[in-house]
Amino acid sequence: MLSEAVIKELEEIRQRYPNARAALLPAIYIAQREFGWLSPEAYEAVSDILGVPKTIARGVATFYAMYKHKPMGRNIVHLCTNVSCMILGAERLVDILKERYGLEPNSTTPDGRFSLVIMECIGACGTAPAMLVNTDFHDNLTQENIIQILESYK
Amino acid sequence: MITVNINGKEIKLEKPVTVLEAARSAGIKIPTLCYHEQLEKYGGCRLCLVEIEKIPRLQTACTLVVTDGMVIRTETEQVTNARRGVLEFLLINHPLDCPYCDKAGECELQDMVEKYGHTTGRFKENKRRIPENLEDPVIVRNMERCIMCTRCVRMCEGVQGASAIAVINRGGHSHIEPFSGGRYDCEYCGNCISVCPVGAIMSRMHRHSYRPWQLVSETETICPYCGVGCTLVVQVRDNVIKRVIPRLGKGVNSGLLCSRGRFGYEFVGSEERLTSPLIKKDGKLEQATWKEALDLVATRLGEIRKKYGSDSIAGIASPRCTNEDNYVFQRFMRGTIGTNNIDSTASLGYAGTLRFIENIFGGGVTANQISELSNSDLIFVAGGDPTTVNPVFGLKIRACSRNGGRLLTIGHSKGLRNFNPVELRPQLFTETVLLEGLVTALKDRKGLPGSNKKIETRIKDINISVDDVEKTSRVSGKDVEKFANLLSESVTPAIVIGRELMQSNGNSYKFLLLSAISYLINGKIYLLSERSNEQGVIDMGCAPDILPGYKSVSDSEFRKRYESVWKTAIPEKQGLSLSGMIISAKNGAIKAMYIMGENPVYNLPDSKEAEAALKNIGFLVVQDIFLSETGKIADVVLPALSWSEKEGTFTNMERRIQLLRKAVIREGKEDWRIISNISGNMGVKFNYSDAEDVFSEISSVSPLYKGLSYKEIEMGNSIYPYKGETLTGGEDIQIHKGKSITAVSRLYLRIERPLFHSGTLSRRAQALLKVYPEAVARISPLTAEAYSLKNGDKVKVSTKKGFLELPVAIDDGLENSVVALTNNFEGKGAFSLIEYTIDTVTNAPVIEGIEVSIEKGGG
Amino acid sequence: MEKTLLKNIENPKSADINEYMNAGGYKALRKAFEMKPADIVEEVKRSGLRGRGGAGFPTGMKWSFAVATTDRPKYLLCNADEGEPGTFKDRPILEKNPHLLIEGMIISGYALGAEYGYVYLRGEYPEANDILLNAIKQSYEKGYLGESILGKGARFHLYVHQGAGAYICGEETALIESLEGKKGQPRIRPPFPVNRGYLQKPTVVNNVETLSNVPYIIEVGSEAYSKIGSPDCPGPKLYCVSGHLEKPGVYELPMGTTLRDIIYTHCGGIKGGKQLKAVIPGGITAPVLPADKIDCPMDFVNMPKHGSMLGSGAVIVMDESVCLVKVCYRALKFLEHESCGKCTPCREGTGWLRNILGRIEYGEGREEDVELLLSVASNMMGKTFCPLGDGAASVVQNFIKHFRNEFEEHIKNAKCRFR
Ligand SMILES: Cc1cc2nc3c(=O)[nH]c(=O)nc-3n(C[C@H](O)[C@H](O)[C@H](O)COP(=O)(O)O)c2cc1C
Ligand code: SF4
Ligand code: FES
Repeated sequence: MLSEAVIKELEEIRQRYPNARAALLPAIYIAQREFGWLSPEAYEAVSDILGVPKTIARGVATFYAMYKHKPMGRNIVHLCTNVSCMILGAERLVDILKERYGLEPNSTTPDGRFSLVIMECIGACGTAPAMLVNTDFHDNLTQENIIQILESYK
Repeated sequence: MITVNINGKEIKLEKPVTVLEAARSAGIKIPTLCYHEQLEKYGGCRLCLVEIEKIPRLQTACTLVVTDGMVIRTETEQVTNARRGVLEFLLINHPLDCPYCDKAGECELQDMVEKYGHTTGRFKENKRRIPENLEDPVIVRNMERCIMCTRCVRMCEGVQGASAIAVINRGGHSHIEPFSGGRYDCEYCGNCISVCPVGAIMSRMHRHSYRPWQLVSETETICPYCGVGCTLVVQVRDNVIKRVIPRLGKGVNSGLLCSRGRFGYEFVGSEERLTSPLIKKDGKLEQATWKEALDLVATRLGEIRKKYGSDSIAGIASPRCTNEDNYVFQRFMRGTIGTNNIDSTASLGYAGTLRFIENIFGGGVTANQISELSNSDLIFVAGGDPTTVNPVFGLKIRACSRNGGRLLTIGHSKGLRNFNPVELRPQLFTETVLLEGLVTALKDRKGLPGSNKKIETRIKDINISVDDVEKTSRVSGKDVEKFANLLSESVTPAIVIGRELMQSNGNSYKFLLLSAISYLINGKIYLLSERSNEQGVIDMGCAPDILPGYKSVSDSEFRKRYESVWKTAIPEKQGLSLSGMIISAKNGAIKAMYIMGENPVYNLPDSKEAEAALKNIGFLVVQDIFLSETGKIADVVLPALSWSEKEGTFTNMERRIQLLRKAVIREGKEDWRIISNISGNMGVKFNYSDAEDVFSEISSVSPLYKGLSYKEIEMGNSIYPYKGETLTGGEDIQIHKGKSITAVSRLYLRIERPLFHSGTLSRRAQALLKVYPEAVARISPLTAEAYSLKNGDKVKVSTKKGFLELPVAIDDGLENSVVALTNNFEGKGAFSLIEYTIDTVTNAPVIEGIEVSIEKGGG
Repeated sequence: MEKTLLKNIENPKSADINEYMNAGGYKALRKAFEMKPADIVEEVKRSGLRGRGGAGFPTGMKWSFAVATTDRPKYLLCNADEGEPGTFKDRPILEKNPHLLIEGMIISGYALGAEYGYVYLRGEYPEANDILLNAIKQSYEKGYLGESILGKGARFHLYVHQGAGAYICGEETALIESLEGKKGQPRIRPPFPVNRGYLQKPTVVNNVETLSNVPYIIEVGSEAYSKIGSPDCPGPKLYCVSGHLEKPGVYELPMGTTLRDIIYTHCGGIKGGKQLKAVIPGGITAPVLPADKIDCPMDFVNMPKHGSMLGSGAVIVMDESVCLVKVCYRALKFLEHESCGKCTPCREGTGWLRNILGRIEYGEGREEDVELLLSVASNMMGKTFCPLGDGAASVVQNFIKHFRNEFEEHIKNAKCRFR
């Protein structure tokens, strides 16, 4: 069940679009924020509010890579390994995360502190390698500074 | 006129069509997979690529619309290579388990590869593995075989409107599944199965028990379930129905079916079918020979008639039997027995509604074509969910919405909730006021057209302000205005009347109001019909006051027509209606009753009362395909042939007469033949050799069917008013406003009419039972919370008449004041809890306002 | 060259509306509102502006199609999906100069008769989202957005719609689908978006950089504008350069600057003085060029003549240490991941190509694999629903075309010597 405030927020978002279906993507963002991830309940809530069948909502959401399709850690590390980052050593950084935190791509540390998502290009190629932690950009990563940066996320 | 050139052949086209359609019209084959004529264009599989002059890239024939002068080549080397390449791509992740796959033999991919594909594979890697999913009782999913044509998804979302499956994930990781990922939570129409070109979505029924090429016989017939009358193809192997499928371009359903039609056929081959006549001896039913049974029935009926008179005998006909069965049955009752005591369960609502409205507007006003619905610009639904009662009819309503039409409902129609309906939800028992408000508002907006004085004098008396409507019904004046505006702006409106209104308090007055609305906006009226031949049973004169062709039994001219053919007299006096029969049985006036294909002990409201009444009858004959609750208390039980074992006709809700054909062979007698035998034994010989013979008599006597024959029906020339004479309305409008009910109780009973069941027939359809296995008490989430109940909790549901112990099912489509129960499961029928009165105008039982209480923890 | 797109961005408060206006912002808007919409369309047409999203379609022509339809309402969508790997040119506009984009959209909306605009912003740019939302708010407050812009009666409302991680949503019809709350899968064309786009209404989709050129065109006039850069595709261009360079980054240069100039003059040459090996000049799906083929003017017209394309203007520079089989493999991994799955050749082909490339890179390649790669690629090329699938085939074809020996060496030696 969503709170009154969230329902109001959704109504407000709904108003930005000519019809309810069009508001599906932002509504899914909000549902995952409220439920932590896209649980069946999250889809049901979206479906109730927008009148979009929940099966459709789920089909749409799973098309997109950035939604949380399973429960995730407190901090999500989106590490880019696409060509620009790769040729400047991004793969080594993936190994470092494994060595330091036992963090593997598409998984979460047992303490729930980090989840690692391997990204396709996050638009920081000029300062590669780069990552997004939650909504913060960090670039010019090295084997040393990546740990320093991550240590500030608890 | 557009001219295109395909493979050197000039083709002239009336209008711009796709390259594919143009090629097909000229007999040129272009292979396709994702294309399906019922579905929206997709262009994904890329199998239909063709070369177009002046366009550098190959183009998909299924999406490209031709322009004048276009030059198209469908068989060049480039095209063949592209095709072969696409097929290779499709096969790299396809398991090629054809020897094991049930689809082999009718698999579009298999056929295509055979025709156009490579002979050897170059893909040596591991294929995608996805285990077969058997979590669902009815549908099996094998996503390894899926080629992502998305035909099933487009069917489910775009045509069926159920949106129960979707493509999950993207790219090479996509697969198709229902929300749960396992079991379906859907309408089980199986239309996804119909369109799947490979063995990815299949029915579990008779799995691995046949190969498509072993289905030696195919018979086109009509569905046994509801009044839509869908055309089915019944496929048989070893005299067992293995599969029922729809066919594109055939029937009112053209390629679509619902769960009952597709999966509900197993009753035919049920082990519980009656195989021989039974005669009650010392209180026990024992097997008997046909001769014994037929003689006994003839003798006893003869004796009773002699002793107590013809009117001590009554007959109940069947909306599940053919027109021919019903016609012969009423002839037997009228001619041989000599009574008009004949009626059917059509009188529980449908007949009264039909005749009330016809009396206002004339015969056949409800004979509107189902196909036209989807082109209406507005559909107004009152009295229940059309998508469960008449599912394929419901699809047309959904299609209407998809085509931009507006849907208006009074109350909530769960099956329409995703179709942007405008809903008015009045307080319980205040629909009448709301309807009066709408009539008033429409009268103001549209004025009186002056073409029907009869209804106009009534309309003049209807005046209620929007404020008063709001006060009583709690529907805001603004909403009423909006609703009225939409109605009044509509150019091609349709009005759909459902069962809940047909059995509501003051139903005749509500029909008057709906008729008034229809009259003011010039709408077409449709009546939902639960049983496959509900219309036909009335047409055939299985009613106490009319002869086949809708003329009163008191009309001597008309009576004479039949008398001269039957060579027996027909009584002039109107007979007993169904409810009258029950009363007379109870008070002892009815001494014998003949019931054909009906189960009143279960199917009548207040069923326990009905049972007691029938038990009071001296001699009870029940003719059926199963030993029903009513059969169990009979003196003689006669086994009949069922649907798919005999020929005949049904008349659907739009009054189209359609042919039923024999698909399996079973020893036994048709209903009409059993009755003819008995009549013969009673000294009145019926000389019908087969069903067609019966029909020719009907069409020769009843002016309505003048000149109609099986041949004409087969050609589809059997749409009302046929070529016959229709009747126009006659009598004054009678109305009965009903007593006013005020909501005092917390909870009221509602009859749920589930999509997956129909009467007692579906009890013997295993597939339907798997989908909907047991009776439940449905309540709203809030009610559940108030009683601290969760799904599956046992509750005791009681009314004045008794109680049932049922598991709870929480349903967010229900109002908080309602407990919904079904009447489909043995020993758990909602009708046993019902106390009713009979509406004096429509003769329909009023089953509104039944207070119920629920208590946690029963049983 | 004086900077226009990236003007003033060194100012730490460049995203603020007051700073933007102090630097001359929203003047073009005032000027535009003195003009007739049709004249603005004409002006843009004459300027020779081509879309900066990758395809280089003449913007004025696209607009005139949309203006020709009478159906209402019309929509203006800004493509800020910037998903092509190596591309990060729109980001500085979005984050540092959002009002330039907003001003461009308001003028464009006015010219097109569009009353609603959406910025389809990739989900990977959360900061840009916050900045844009704030900038839009400021613009409403100043009366540049809303029911009656500058009190002149024309209305324009602008919203931001966040994507959620799907490269294909950069393709304009997939973008429209996504904005309708659907999966981002491309649509059948025709009908084209200018006739039936968002919710079946006439819709113009333009890239961030494209729209950001509009105020400047209005300000200086089409004539002055068309004198910048290449004659056939004029204007300033943002080149985003990444990889082994001394000074990677986004450079605003006249259209048609050569690749060599970009790498050696503007970006300071190859990092650490190493040897240049290859360049991908226009985003990952643009054909790769070997080191000796970089004397090409970077614009839409000349690049195809030099065997590649300008694409998004994303230059990825690779030095001698790079294994090109691996780069090719990584590119295919990306394209497989991003294939929307709608059409067979792309859905199945990208995975198959990635599969073969992977085994070559990891030393398990087979002798026939190079030919097999080419055959699979040719079965895809020209048969897919949208350019993504073609792009995948083209990547493989061009890497093999220029660096076949490197593939063969991997197969022969059963290993990658760059590891
Ligand atoms: C696979 C694919 C991805 C694309 N991605 C983008 C993108 O990220 N940003 C963009 O502006 N255009 C992208 N485009 C181009 C758009 O389809 C479209 O041409 C562009 O938005 C038009 O704007 P313009 O005329 O201003 O360039 C892409 C095209 C394809 C086929
Ligand atoms: S080429 Fe086909 S599968 Fe690939 S992204 Fe385009 S439409 Fe989707
Ligand atoms: S049939 Fe045309 S693309 Fe599938």
